Amino acid sequence: MVRSSLRWMPAVLVPLVIGTGVVVAGASPVVTLEEKTPEQVLALVAASDVRSFSGTIQQTSRLGLPEFPSTDSGSDSTTDSVASALELITGAHEARVFVDGPQRARVQITENLAERDVIRSGSEVWTYDSEAKEATHLTLPDKTAAHDSPAWTPGEIAARALAAVTPSTEVSLDPASRVAGRSTYELVLTPRTEDTLVGSVTIAVDSESGMPLAASVHARGESAPAFRVAFTAIDLAAPAARLFAFTPPAEATVKEESVPDAALPGTLDARDLRSAVPPFGVSGSDWSTVVELPSGSAPPELLASPLFASLATPVDGGKLLGSALLNVLVTDDGRVFAGAVPLNVLQDAAANR
Amino acid sequence: MTVAGTGLAIETRGLSKRFGHQDAVDDVDLTVPAGTVFGFLGPNGSGKTTTIRMLLGLASATRGEATVLGQELPGALSSVLPRIGALVEGPAFYPFLSGTANLMRLDSADRYASGSTRRSRVDAALDRVGLTHAAGKRVKAYSLGMKQRLGLASALLSPRELLVLDEPTNGLDPQGTREVRNLIRSFADDGATVFVSSHLLSEVEQMCTHAAIMSAGRLVAQGGLDELRRVGDAHVTVVTPDAERARRRLAAFGFVTDEPAEGSGRVRATVAVEAAAAPESIVAALVADGVRVRGFTVEQVTLEERFVALTGEGFDVVR
Amino acid sequence: MSSAEPGPARAIGERAPLGSPSGEGESRHPSLGISLLVSELSVIYRRPRTWALLAALAAVPILIAVAVRLTDDGPQPGRGPPFLDSITNNGLFVGFTALVVCIPLFLPLTVGVVAGDTIAGEAGHGTLRYLLIVPAGRVRLLLVKYVGAAIFCLSATLTIVLAGTVIGFALFPLGDVTLLSGDTIGPGESTLRLLLVAGYVTVSLLGLSAVGLFISTLTDVPVGAMAATIVIAVASQVVGALPQLAWLHPWLLSNHWLGFGDLLRQPISWDSFGANALLQLGYIALFGALAYGRFTTKDVLS
Repeated sequence: MVRSSLRWMPAVLVPLVIGTGVVVAGASPVVTLEEKTPEQVLALVAASDVRSFSGTIQQTSRLGLPEFPSTDSGSDSTTDSVASALELITGAHEARVFVDGPQRARVQITENLAERDVIRSGSEVWTYDSEAKEATHLTLPDKTAAHDSPAWTPGEIAARALAAVTPSTEVSLDPASRVAGRSTYELVLTPRTEDTLVGSVTIAVDSESGMPLAASVHARGESAPAFRVAFTAIDLAAPAARLFAFTPPAEATVKEESVPDAALPGTLDARDLRSAVPPFGVSGSDWSTVVELPSGSAPPELLASPLFASLATPVDGGKLLGSALLNVLVTDDGRVFAGAVPLNVLQDAAANR
Repeated sequence: MTVAGTGLAIETRGLSKRFGHQDAVDDVDLTVPAGTVFGFLGPNGSGKTTTIRMLLGLASATRGEATVLGQELPGALSSVLPRIGALVEGPAFYPFLSGTANLMRLDSADRYASGSTRRSRVDAALDRVGLTHAAGKRVKAYSLGMKQRLGLASALLSPRELLVLDEPTNGLDPQGTREVRNLIRSFADDGATVFVSSHLLSEVEQMCTHAAIMSAGRLVAQGGLDELRRVGDAHVTVVTPDAERARRRLAAFGFVTDEPAEGSGRVRATVAVEAAAAPESIVAALVADGVRVRGFTVEQVTLEERFVALTGEGFDVVR
Repeated sequence: MSSAEPGPARAIGERAPLGSPSGEGESRHPSLGISLLVSELSVIYRRPRTWALLAALAAVPILIAVAVRLTDDGPQPGRGPPFLDSITNNGLFVGFTALVVCIPLFLPLTVGVVAGDTIAGEAGHGTLRYLLIVPAGRVRLLLVKYVGAAIFCLSATLTIVLAGTVIGFALFPLGDVTLLSGDTIGPGESTLRLLLVAGYVTVSLLGLSAVGLFISTLTDVPVGAMAATIVIAVASQVVGALPQLAWLHPWLLSNHWLGFGDLLRQPISWDSFGANALLQLGYIALFGALAYGRFTTKDVLS
C-alpha cells in the first residue's frame, strides 16, 4: 500500500541524510583566500607572532610499521623518561597543547581513561603518567631554558621543513584549505631529487596568524600522508595560568631528575646528531641524507629479538627495516645505515664505506 | 456521528486479508446495523478475529474498505477508536500490576480521557463488572473469569458507542457466562451497538438480535436472527385420511408435497420458509376444505441446522 | 444510528464527563502523552524485574569497594580497572571504577533487557493490542516507550554512581580527586564531574536503546529482542577491538563508550562528549526511523 511504503521513507531518508552529511563534512572545503606566492606565505610564517595558544593536535602515521622503533638503548633511567616522551609522539596519538610564550607549555597525550602530561614552566619541567601514578620533576639547565617550545608542534616541524628550502626543493602552493576551522594556505615542498622516499611535505599555514596548523609528509607515490601532525582545534587566546602550575597529586610517586645535555629533545636533526654523538657518520645531503652508525652501535639484543626478525627483510648485503618514509639497513658486518631514501641508496652508501 | 447517514455501525466492502498464500478473510461485506446486538458466528479459525483486528486497526486490510461508526478506516482510526470499547482474543494484562493499576494504565493511554476523573471512572467500571473486591489484587492472582470481566471493564472506561467483544465468554464457567451475557444485554439497553464474536451458536441465539456467519474466511450469511432462521425450507406434516384434498390445499399455499406413501395417511410438504404461511391459517384452510386433520406438525429449521448447512463443518454446539 | 435521535445515540459506560461521546472529536483536547509516559514509568518501575536489574548494578560498586577494603596492601597503580588504585584514597572513585567495569557488559545487559522489552514485551503480554485500540497511537506509544527506556538508562547509571558513592563514603575517606591530568579538585567539583560522567554514560546507552526499540518491533518474543540487543552491544565491542576493521570503528555504537575520560581532564574536554552525542544521535535517528517504519506498518497479531 502507498501509505505503508510512505512510513518507511524516514528509514530511507535518515541514512541518506547522514551519508550526505558525512560526505559534505569530509569533502575538501572550498576556501577562497587572497592570492599569495609561496614567498609571501613564507614571509607570513616568518612574521607570525603567535606565542600563546591552546589546541588539540592529532598525529597520525601510516608508515607501514606497527610502531616507530625506539632508538634508545634504555641503558639509564634518565634518558628513559625523555625517550618515553619521544615515543609518545611517534605512534598515533592525540594531544592537547597549551602554550603561553616560549617558557610555559603543557602537553597532554590523551588516551582512553589515561593521560600523560609534560608541563613546563620556565626551567621547571614535570611529567605525569596517570596510569603509573608517577610524576617526574626535571630542572632544565639554563642553556636549554632559552630554547623555544617543544619540537613537535606543527610550527616546529614546519620550521624544520622551511629551513630545508634549498635548491633541492621545489616550493609551491596548493589550493587554500581549512584546518581546525581556520582557512589556510597549503605550502607544498617537493624534493627535486629522486633519491628519497619523501614525495612531498605539505604545510598548512593559518591565513590570519601565519601559524602553521598542519604538516603532512607524503611518501612517494602515496596519496594519503604517511605522517601528519595537525591541529583539530585551536584557540589563539592565552591559556589559564593555573594549567602551568603543577603540583603532583599526593598519592603519586615523585622522581627528581636532572637532564644531561645530550638527551634533550630537538636533537633529531642529522647534523645535531653528529655533533652530539661523535661516532655517527653522514653521507649524502638534504632529502637523500644517509646516517651511518659504526659496527657494534646497534644494540645486539635488539638485533637478536624476534620482533626485529619479523620486521626485517633480508636484502643484498644485510637486512632491511623498511617503512614508507624511512629505510634502515643493518649490514651483515653490523653497521647501520638509515635515511629517508630508497634501499639502493643505502646499499651504495654501505658499499662506498 | 455520520452513523446517521447509513444507520450502520460497521460496514465493510470486499474486506480481505491475506497471510502469505492463505486468505484468512476473503471478500467480506459485513453490515452491522446500529443499536443491535450482532453475533459474529463461525467456527474457530474462520476469520472472525482477523476481521475484528482489521476493524480495530490492529491489522491492515489487504483489500477492501471498512467504515466504522460512519468513518472510513484506517484513516479515521484515531477519532473512531475512542468511541469503541473492545475485547480482542481474550483479556491481556500486566500480571504484576493490580486490576486498578491495569485499568489506570489503559486509561492514561487514551489521549482524550481526563486525568482528573480517571480514578472514579476506573472504580465505576470495576464496580459494573463486579470486581471491586479484587481491585487491589495483582492480576496474576485473578481467575480467567475475573480477567475476562476486567477486560470488559477496560472496554467501559469511557462512554462507548460500539463494543466489539471477541469470544467474551471463552473459558468461563456457566455462572460467569450468564454474568457476561447479562452485562452485554445491559450494554445494549444503554443504546450501544454490541458486536460479539463467538463460535457458540447457543450463545449467539441467546444474546443477539442479528448475526453473520463466517466460514473459511468468507461471510456466508448475515441478517436478523429471524431472517436467518427463515432462510431455507420449512416442512409440515399433515396426518389425515383425506390426503388428496390436503395435498391440493397445501399446493395452493405454495407447498411441494412429497410422493404419497401408500395408505400412511401422512402428507409431508415442503415450502421455502419466507413463503410459509402461519401454521394456524394453514390448518384453518385445511379444515375449511373438509380435510379431517388428525395431526399437524411444523418442523422449524434451527439456526444450528442452517449453520451446519452453510459452513459444512462440525460446529461446536455443546459447550 | 443518528445523532439526531436521542435514544440510540446514547452510549454506554459511565456518566459521560465529556458530553456526548458521538460529539465531535475537535471539541476534545488531546493530552500530550505525559500521563502515558508517567504510566509507562510506573509500569517499568513497578516491575520486580526492573528492581532486580538495578540491584545487580548497585552490587557492582559494593563488591568492588568491599573487595578493595578487604585487601591488605590495596591495589597497585596500573593494574586492574582504571581508578581502582585511587579508591583507598577517595571513596568517590568507587563510582568511577564501577562505571568503567559496568560499561562493557552489565549496563548494555540491563539496557538490552529494558529496550528489547519495550514493544515485544507488550506484544508478549497481549497488552499491545489493548494499548493500540485505546488508542494510544502507534507513534505516540513508540515515543513514550523510547523515552521510558532512556529514563531507565539514566536511572541505571545513577544507581551505580549512587551506590558507589554511598559505599565509598562508608568504607573510605573522602578527599580531593586526582584527575587524569594529575591536577586535583575538591569534593564539590568532583561530584559535578561524577554526574557528568554518569550523563556521558547515559548518552552512550541511548543509541543502544534505539536499536533495542527497533528489534523489539520485529518480534512478539521479548526474550529474543533482549538477547539480540545485547548481542549487538557485545558484537560492536568485539569489532571495535579488531584493528583490521579500523575503518568501521568510527561508526560503531560502542566507539566512544569509554571516552568519558575526557571529562576527567584539566581543563575538561568536551570533544568525546560531542562526538559520542553525535554518534548516538545518528543511531537514534536511524533506528528510530526503522522502528517507526516497522511499527506503524505492522499487523499486531499477538
